[in-house]
Amino acid sequence: MTSQGTTELTVQENAEELRRTVTRLFGRSLHIRTLDTGSCASCEQEIRLLAAPHYDLHRLGFFFTPAPRHADLLMVTGPMVRAFENAARKTYDAIPDPKIVVATGACALGGVYQPDPFTHGGVGGTFPVDVWIPGCPPSPLALLQGLLVAVGRLADKVKDLDFALNGTPR
Amino acid sequence: MNPLPVLAGAAAAWGLATLIALTCGSTRAGIRVCCAVSGLGGGAALAGGVSALLSGNSRVVSAGGSVVVGTLQLQATSLAGVFVALLGLIAVATAAYVPRYHEPSHATGLYLGVFNLAMLASLAVLVAGNVVTFLVAWETMALLCYLLILRRPRRSEVAAGAFWFLALSEVGFVAIVAAFVILAAKTHTMQLDLIAARAHLVSGDWRVAAYLLALTGFGFKAGLVPLHVWLPEAHPVAPADGSAFLSGLITKLGVYGIALFGFVLLPSGPAWRGVLTMAAGAVTAAIGILYALNERDIKRFLAFSTIENIGIIITAFGAAMTFLAYGQRLLWAFLLLAGLYHVANHGSYKTLLFQEAGVIEHATGTREFDRLGGLAHRMPRSSVISFVGTLGIAALPPLNGFVSEWLIFQGLFQGFRTGSHLVAILIVLAAGTLGLTGGLAVYAFVRGYGIPFLGMPRTRQAAAASEARQPQAGPTLLAVACVALAVGAPVMLAGLARALRTITGVTLRPVLLPGNLTVIPAHTKFSGFSPTWLTVFLLAVSAVPVLIYLAGRPRGASRAEPVWDGGIVAFKPRMQYSAMTFSAPTRVMFDALYQPSVSVDRASDEPAGSSGPVHYESEATPIFERYLYRPVIRAFEWLADVVRPIQSGDVNLYLFYVFAAVLVAYLIAAL
Amino acid sequence: MPLWTLRGLRRGVVTTRYPARPDASAQLLPTPPAFRPEVLTPRLADRLAAVCPSRALARDGDMLVFDVGACTACGRCRAEAPEATAASGEFELAATARAYLVKRIPLGGRPA
Repeated sequence: MTSQGTTELTVQENAEELRRTVTRLFGRSLHIRTLDTGSCASCEQEIRLLAAPHYDLHRLGFFFTPAPRHADLLMVTGPMVRAFENAARKTYDAIPDPKIVVATGACALGGVYQPDPFTHGGVGGTFPVDVWIPGCPPSPLALLQGLLVAVGRLADKVKDLDFALNGTPR
Repeated sequence: MNPLPVLAGAAAAWGLATLIALTCGSTRAGIRVCCAVSGLGGGAALAGGVSALLSGNSRVVSAGGSVVVGTLQLQATSLAGVFVALLGLIAVATAAYVPRYHEPSHATGLYLGVFNLAMLASLAVLVAGNVVTFLVAWETMALLCYLLILRRPRRSEVAAGAFWFLALSEVGFVAIVAAFVILAAKTHTMQLDLIAARAHLVSGDWRVAAYLLALTGFGFKAGLVPLHVWLPEAHPVAPADGSAFLSGLITKLGVYGIALFGFVLLPSGPAWRGVLTMAAGAVTAAIGILYALNERDIKRFLAFSTIENIGIIITAFGAAMTFLAYGQRLLWAFLLLAGLYHVANHGSYKTLLFQEAGVIEHATGTREFDRLGGLAHRMPRSSVISFVGTLGIAALPPLNGFVSEWLIFQGLFQGFRTGSHLVAILIVLAAGTLGLTGGLAVYAFVRGYGIPFLGMPRTRQAAAASEARQPQAGPTLLAVACVALAVGAPVMLAGLARALRTITGVTLRPVLLPGNLTVIPAHTKFSGFSPTWLTVFLLAVSAVPVLIYLAGRPRGASRAEPVWDGGIVAFKPRMQYSAMTFSAPTRVMFDALYQPSVSVDRASDEPAGSSGPVHYESEATPIFERYLYRPVIRAFEWLADVVRPIQSGDVNLYLFYVFAAVLVAYLIAAL
Repeated sequence: MPLWTLRGLRRGVVTTRYPARPDASAQLLPTPPAFRPEVLTPRLADRLAAVCPSRALARDGDMLVFDVGACTACGRCRAEAPEATAASGEFELAATARAYLVKRIPLGGRPA
């Protein structure tokens, strides 16, 4: 904040402010609405395991809810089959702001399926996605990490990974 | 104020209205004038009824007569006051309703003439001072109501319904005549107040016989189970204002008859008489509402609901008689008061609901629940008025149904004061049955209001409904009356307590309304409740969510999105509840009563859709018709077959009958 | 009911402590591959791109473009060129921008 009349924030400060706001709103209590846009249900099985005693997302303050009106976060799986697009859009619109969209699994991220007459091949074109979780399916641990990144409790790790091995083979 | 001249004025107005209707009823102006005069008559009747309530029994006025039928005698009693006031209210509401409801035509003129005469006859029944006047007026009323139902005689169900009405009315009339004859013969007088004064001259067995005959005879008219079969046949087929009159007043004439015999002419009797009446009322109430839940036609549904409410009133009367047998005079008077209050309440909201059913029928062309829907948006004023009536009849606070049912329940809960364990248990059972009835009534009226008015229209006719040019003044007046009866309950109860002092001799006012706004059920330290304060409280409480909304409204921009429907493509009307599926749980639970017969018809055993539609039909067994009335009718038909040979058509045989009769007469004279 | 309670108490707490402490089962997870730049040649990169069923691998000039988001950890690229790939062991791959998941690995190998 400068001493001039208008406040001038850098992109960095904006992002930080946003992260703090999101953490304040959702960090301890988040309601998740899952949406299957045509997946093979492997992602759904891993998501289901989150509620099981081993992974237990409730201890982190996360809950599943079927009602979009009560949801804060939309967890989308599947390649966005065209026949489902209307319903997916309706679900997204029915969630009150502020909301977070998390695309889960390789299908939703654009892998596996190419765009064709039956599917869009990924959910990026239908919703503004905030967090992308790769995997096929992503394990419950990866899902937990993704949710914690979404609410700003963990930092985004993958942007610093380069997937290049240096030195002797492992 | 002497009520009789006012009531004479009302009668004159109705007679004049009849003449106007018969002569110029085929023009719109003629109908308007007739209704105006009829409405004035109604106002006079209302005033006369209230005055009769408050001023005690008037003197008996003889108005001529003949040697054959005896003197015509009239007396305005306090007991009749409630019923006369109700008649007046219904007459005014009907007068406001008719001009927009009926099309001017020759048949309408006849119909309105008959209607006004029927109101006049009902008034005569209520102010009859002696047996003959009562019976003549009763029969006239029955015949005129038969003509009333026959507004559209060429429709087959109309003729059948009207026939049921007349046939069972006549059967009841036989019992009523028998009851009156017993009393008149034993007390050597035809005048009703003298019969009441000399009731002690009638021995116990004859008293019981007279009361049971009266209960049966008037029960036919009131609609007690199993004497009710005509009600759901006759009430729906009459025009809406006729149905309203039948349900709102004519059934109450049966109640008046039972009250007359039970409380005025033969006040004291054994306890089992009261228990029997109470049981009949409780069974009627439960069966009435259970069958109401099974109906797809609005007017049949309302007819069964009338049966239920009559059951509630008779339960109150029966319990009152039981309490008197055990010396509890306060509770005797209190339950009679509660029953009479329920008479007034039911008359007001049932008439309203039937009038609204007529409005719906004219606006959409159908009376079936499953063809309606979404009327709240298309007919907003009618839906608000119907809602007031629905709240009243479902006995929800703060409206009048709640107050009168609360009073009846409080009276029943004091069954322990009888001192007899058996009777106390029976009274509690009756209270439990009324509780079941009350719950089912709320359920039934959620269905009765929700299916037609809420949701999406299920057919094009419902979507095209409009309340332009539909009658609204009549139902609005009744809605105002409902609210007034609720909020002004203390006034109403004070008036009724005055009337009760005349009828029963019990001064109820100090133990009924100790303050001016709180009602207590005849004994202090039992319970208490203030209808006025309850209304104020409910209004205040309903302001709380409004205030919360105003305070917590989002100040930022907000987004309006459609209601979440699961993301389906489009919401179709067929996805809603239908009336029958909504009441399916009761059909499952009470299937021992309904004994539904289910028939399923399918083209083949393939799953539905791949080989053609599946036809499913479920019908509740009409128990009383099949197991009570049909056997009795068959027995009479058998008897008629046996006796038919007498009517051979042969003149010689008839001459032989004459000869044989004269011979027998000589022989008897000779002995 | 009592038996179930006793069994549960004997077994103890089974809930993972993740993210406060690493989870032991994480080592068993299939993970996307990591590549050895010094072994990758353009021909090898093209073979790897052809064998990937999810279009996660592509060659852009002298870079191997690896889309971690599209990878299903099927292992076909590892079977095709085991000397050039190895399991990365990374499963915490959530990204706040899709671009963070697209990695460019230089092709440092000398063609044989």
